[in-house]
Order: sequence, then structure tokens, then C-alpha cells
Amino acid sequence: MSSSSAPSSVASRLEEGIPAPAPPRAKSKKTWWSWGLLVPVLVFFILMNVIPTIWMLGLSFYNYTLTSSGDPRFIGIDNYTQLAGAGPLWLSLGRTFTFMVLAVAIQTVLGAVVGYLFWKSNKVPGRRLALTLLFTPMILTPLSSGLFWRLMLDPVFGVINYFGELIGLEKIDFTTDATLAFPAVLVVDSWMWIPFMALMTLAALGSVPKAELEAAQVDNLSFWQRLVHVIIPAGKFIIILGILLRTIDVFKTMDLVYLMTNGGPGDRTELIAVALYRLAFKSFNLGYSSALAVLLLFIAIALTSIYLFVLNLRSRREAENA
Amino acid sequence: MVAALAAVGLASTAVLAGCSSGDDGASGTDDPAASDDGGNDSENLNEDGGGETCADNPDNPLCGSSDTNMQGKSIEFGYSRIGGWPPSAAPEAMWPAFQSYAKETYGYDVSDLAFAEAPFGELFQKIAPTLASGSNEFNLMIVDSQWLGALSEPGWIVKADDVFALNPELDIEPYSSLVTNTYQVYPDGSGQRWGFPQMPDTQGVFLRKDWLEDPANQAAFKDATGKDLPTTYEEYENILMDDFLEIVDFFNDPSGGIYGTAMMYSKEYDFFSCAYYPFAYSTGGEIWNPETNDVYGILNSEVNAAAMEKFVGLSEYQPETFATQGIGDMIDLFTQGRAFSAFQWLAVGAFMHNPEAPEGGVASPDQYIAIPLPKFEAPDGDANIIGAMGGQPWVINSFNDDDQMRVSVDFLKWWYLPETQDVFILDNGGLPWSKEGAANPAYADIPYLKPFLYMLGEGRSQDFWHLPEYSEMLAVQQEAFNGYATGTVSSAAEALDYSAAKQQEILFNAGRTTVAPPEGTAGRTLQ
Repeated sequence: MSSSSAPSSVASRLEEGIPAPAPPRAKSKKTWWSWGLLVPVLVFFILMNVIPTIWMLGLSFYNYTLTSSGDPRFIGIDNYTQLAGAGPLWLSLGRTFTFMVLAVAIQTVLGAVVGYLFWKSNKVPGRRLALTLLFTPMILTPLSSGLFWRLMLDPVFGVINYFGELIGLEKIDFTTDATLAFPAVLVVDSWMWIPFMALMTLAALGSVPKAELEAAQVDNLSFWQRLVHVIIPAGKFIIILGILLRTIDVFKTMDLVYLMTNGGPGDRTELIAVALYRLAFKSFNLGYSSALAVLLLFIAIALTSIYLFVLNLRSRREAENA
Repeated sequence: MVAALAAVGLASTAVLAGCSSGDDGASGTDDPAASDDGGNDSENLNEDGGGETCADNPDNPLCGSSDTNMQGKSIEFGYSRIGGWPPSAAPEAMWPAFQSYAKETYGYDVSDLAFAEAPFGELFQKIAPTLASGSNEFNLMIVDSQWLGALSEPGWIVKADDVFALNPELDIEPYSSLVTNTYQVYPDGSGQRWGFPQMPDTQGVFLRKDWLEDPANQAAFKDATGKDLPTTYEEYENILMDDFLEIVDFFNDPSGGIYGTAMMYSKEYDFFSCAYYPFAYSTGGEIWNPETNDVYGILNSEVNAAAMEKFVGLSEYQPETFATQGIGDMIDLFTQGRAFSAFQWLAVGAFMHNPEAPEGGVASPDQYIAIPLPKFEAPDGDANIIGAMGGQPWVINSFNDDDQMRVSVDFLKWWYLPETQDVFILDNGGLPWSKEGAANPAYADIPYLKPFLYMLGEGRSQDFWHLPEYSEMLAVQQEAFNGYATGTVSSAAEALDYSAAKQQEILFNAGRTTVAPPEGTAGRTLQ
């Protein structure tokens, strides 16, 4: 039996120049250090997130309007039963889901196309600059994007109507037209977020093993065969994550709509987040709006759960493959 | 996670219940506005009520400063105002004069005026949470008349009657009862006053006088209609709407980029509603019953539907963007020479010309005349006009400390001095609201004063709800009315019926009326 394989005493370890295992105190120090780093984040999270959420949940069982003279009055689940019969809110929720499905579909498809084009053009000069410019809309705040798009769509002095007139089209008031207002918001949201899906596509394509791509080339596979059998299986997790992130984000869309159309004309672009804003900060109906916020929270939790499930699925697959 | 949230949520209900001052948590039905002290919980107000005078107790904060009690002090002071509404910015421009006045008269220094501003629709959102938290960040506030109920019921503002009782010089005789009913009284008809008039406002029409006086236009109009083109205020004071529209039609030339008129149809705040109300009021329509707080069956009347159709029908004389037009758009259209006329709040008269206007625009007040709203034929056959009231009162924050309360009262005493009102009205675009001010010959040259006072006459204008629920009610009808203008709501009758049902529901749920909304209202959506 060699000395190296035998259990060694501290003295023999010292003789052999092998450092002694860290004493338990060192481990404890490490734990404290970890907690020290974690505590500020936890405190912030509890103060800014957990407590307001709990407060909101509690408030949803009360009849409380900020501008009324009375104190909050406990009404049990009345706010929720009222919510169940609130036609305009369900209409807004339905509109939000329509917006979500269309926006995510458009952004995914076009983002994938743009991402693929960039992936294939890695030797084209100016690619890096083009990429930087492409991501600009994503960096802008929805407020500034909404404002300048509203100005560009303006029927009197907007640049889009100006060019439309040059080619013989009639002026269109996009943001107040009953048919066009919703698509106008959809286009602007897509303009902002197609770059994000392009980025996710680039990341997905980057994750495809080079060897598999080269093998596909050697086997003379067509573009569609490569897409279906090589690229999608390797990159689908990243794309799915992109879709889920966008789904959660689109569900919360408020500022862009508020600035572009203010939910109008009539209620044609009133998404659920805009309706919630009106209830809470225009009507100050805090109890009822809290109930709606709780409902939306559960929907957001459901979407997030899918996101986490996909993430875990990927980890499990990777573990299995390893 | 959901179960955990639910558990802690239920726990938080216990915390909230603890906030409730009532024994059974149902004290929310109390109406402080109906109590003797108007719901003011401020200690210094309650202890100083009754028949006391400032001679008895000069240290009462609601008396303002005495000769001695503020000497040598330095006070921080702030107010809130309506952004984008020039008359409410005037106090800031005039503040240095008040600083000198306070120093000379009472011997204290008051800081530069801190202010917060937000547009009409957002200012209430800004001040309500600060007041709900008992803050005295805004010592004085310029607010909209609709907010009186929302501010007074929770006890956030000082009852003006308490201040008048101690300072009779502030209780100034108004030009008409419209001033009191609009800017001061809540609940309607109760006689309890909460506000101090700051900027009065009524509606009128601005017309291009230079276009009317152009001989070529006069001849063309005569050829087209066989009538003379009216050119003076006197000719327009009693003009009927249909006759007026004949003139609007004459000047309307969309292909040449000139529109006959400009009105407000925007969904923003109360823009559509206030522009529409004169069409309803003047033809016999009403929007609610202020005694019973009922809306359904009143707002959704045939008269109101016909009035709305007429009002929206006038979009044929306006730009394609008519449905988003607000106050600023009408100023732009008119001053840039793109509209012959503009139905406008007269309080923005000072901004209806622009020395830097492009050629063809309104560079000088000599280029326009301002007139009252054209009249309608009332159900009794008489020519009738009832406009909507605009304008804002001052209100005093009831959470002010004693010194801030004194400065607030001092400020109001200074604000209503004739020499201060001169500066406000002649240099800062203000308008008079008192009998004395209206008769002041120094103001006679203001080009929009005559129609303003005409519309401020008894019965010629009326304000709408002052209830705390105003915001919810307004949001409902603005959406429905604007929806009709943009074609998303099928008819004026549907827009009115939907609004009436929803408003009845809001008032019923708030306990303002015993009449329930029609069945199915909760689930009803705009058609």
C-alpha cells in the first residue's frame, strides 16, 4: 500500500506538505459571508416586493376608495365576485391575450428571420454596427418610443402620412381609427421587441454544435432538413425562453398603450394593465383594483411557472445527456 | 407559493382591520362633510371653532398672522398647480411680491415658492396620495372644482367658512351664484364652502375678426347666402347656433387647409364632456339629479342623444384629428390660421394670439373677437344657452402646521387685494369673479371679458358633479362619448345609456343613491 493511499495523520500530512483541511470555523465564516451578501438583497426584496404584495392581497378583501371619507371596510370576497361579473374588464383581459398572442408570434417569426440573417452574415463588414443599431429600439423606454411613434403616425404632420401622400394614399389617423389603432400599437410593440427575439435567435444558433452543422453539410442536407433536425433541436430552449419572457412582458404592457392611444379610441386598445391603472390611480378604488391586481398576479405566476418548468426541463435533459 | 401568499394575505387583513377607527369597521359610511367641523381633524381647527373672533384670539392660525406672532420667522411654503394651464402658474410669477408683503406686513421670511404640477387629469393623482398620508407638502392647492367632494369628505382641506368667519374681508361678494356653487360649495346646495375662487372660467367662441371684416369675404357671403356677414360682438351675442354654423360652413375649406371651427372631443380628462354639455343643457337635457344622485333615466335621454349627434356632427368642419382635440390643439389651430373659429375656454384668451404666429395666423388680439356660445332653441321655443363652468378654486391643506396655516391665510388676504388682482388679471391672463372686479374699468379692454361675464351671468352656465366619485364617473363617460366620436360605439344613445348605467352603478355602490342600476350593468361592455 503506498503511503499516498493510506489515511494520513496531521503530522504525516505536514511532512508531505499537504495542507490540512480547512477547520470548521473557516466554513462558518464562508457561510456568514454568503449571508452577508444575501441579506441586503433579501431586505430589499421583502420591503419592496413581499410586504406590498401581502398588503395588496389584504386590501383586496376591503372596500376602500382613497377619496372616500371612510376607513377600509372588510367585505370578504365581494371584490372578487364583483370582478367575476365585470364585463369590460374581461373584455380587456381578452384583448390583452389577443395582443399577447399576436405580438409574440410576430416578434418570434420576424426576430428569427432577422437573427438568422445576422448569423449568416458574420463576414459582412459593418455587421457589428448594424447589430448595435438593431438593438436600439429595445433599449429605448416605451414612453419615448410611444411618443415619437405617435408623432410619426400623426395624420397632420406625421412622417408616415407624408410618405403615404407622396405615393397617392389618403391620410390616415392611425391612433384614433377604430380598426387601425390596435394594429398600430401592435406594430410599435413589435418594432421595439423584434430585436430581442433576434438576439435570442442568435444565441440559439450560437448554441448549435459546430460539428453537427458540419456533419449536416457533409451529408448534403437541405436548409429545411438542417433547420428541423439540427438547428431547432439544439436551439429550441433558448427560443422558448425568449417566447416566455416576451409573453410575460407583453401581458404587462401599459406605458406604450397609455401614451400612444390612452386606451382609445373608445376602449379598443384598453389592455388589462391600462384598465388596472385607471382603477387604481384614476378612480382610487384601491380595494377593487387590488383584487384585479391579485388576479393578474396569479396569471403572471402561471406564466412564470411555465418559464421555470422549461428551464428545469433543460437542466434535466442536460444532466441526462451528461 | 399561492397558498403561502393567501395565508399572509389573510394575516394582512387583520392589520388593515386594525387601521379602521370604527368599532365594526363600517365607519366608512360616516360623512365628515355633514359634520359641524366639516370633517377636519386638524387640532387647531377644532379647538378654534365657534363664534370666536381674531380680536379674541389673534393667535388662531386661521386668522393669519398677527403683528407679532410671526415676527422673525422663516417659513417653507409650497403649492400645487395644474401643469399646462397658464392661469394656475401666475401665483408663482407673482410670489416675490408676496414675499415682500409678508416681510413688510408681518415681519417673516417665506421661502421661494416650491411647487408641483401635473396636467388636469394627473394632478389629483399627485396630491391625493400625499394628502391621504397626512402630508403638508402642498400648503395651498389650486384644484379643479370637481375635486371639492373628494378633498373635503376625507377632511383633507380646511373649511373656507371657518376662515371667512374669522376674516370677513375674504368673504367677497361674487359676480353671480355660479362662482359660489362652482368653486366653493360642497355638497351641492348645502351652502358649506370649502374653496376660495382662484381662476374663474366660462366658455365662448373666438372668431377671426380680420376674416369677417374682409370686404371680399363679406361680398362672397352675401352672394352665397343673401345675408350680411355679422362682424361685431353685439351681432354675435344672441346668434343662434344654426346661423352661426352657416358662417362656419362659409369659411370651411379643408382642401385649402382651413377649417370652419375647432372643438374638443378628446378622451383626456373632461375635454369631450365639457364641450358637449352646452349642446345638452341648452336644449333641455340634464346629466343627473343632484338631489337624489340618480343618473339613469336622466343622462340617457333622447334630448341628450340628439345633442350629442349634433355636437359630433360638427366634426365635418374640423380636421381629421378632431377626436383627439384638446385645449392646446384648439389654441394651435386658431393661432396658426388653420381655423376660422374655436369653441374655447375664455380663461385661455391671453393665449389665443401669438406674436410669432405664421403668416395668416393670429399675431394680435385685434385679429379676433370673442363671443359667448351661440344659442340653441330651447323646448319652450326661446333662444337659450347654458354653458359648462370651468375654472379652479384655491383650497388650504388641513395638515398645515400653525405657521403654514397663517401664511396660507396671509397669502389669500394678499391675493384678493385689488392691486394683486390687477397684476393677476392685467399681466398674467387672469379674470375677475367678484362683483367689484367685474365692474373694474381697468379690465374693460380685455378682449374676452365681455363674453366671459355674459356666460357667468345667472343661469347661463352650470358645473357638474363635485362628488368624490367624479373621477370614476368621468372616466366612464369620456370613454363612451369619445368612442361614439371615433365610431367604436354604435350610437350616441348607446354611449349615453352605457354611461348612465355605469354611473348609476358607481353611485349606488358608493351609497349615494338607493336606486340600483339596471340589471346586467356590471357585465355590460361598450357596443
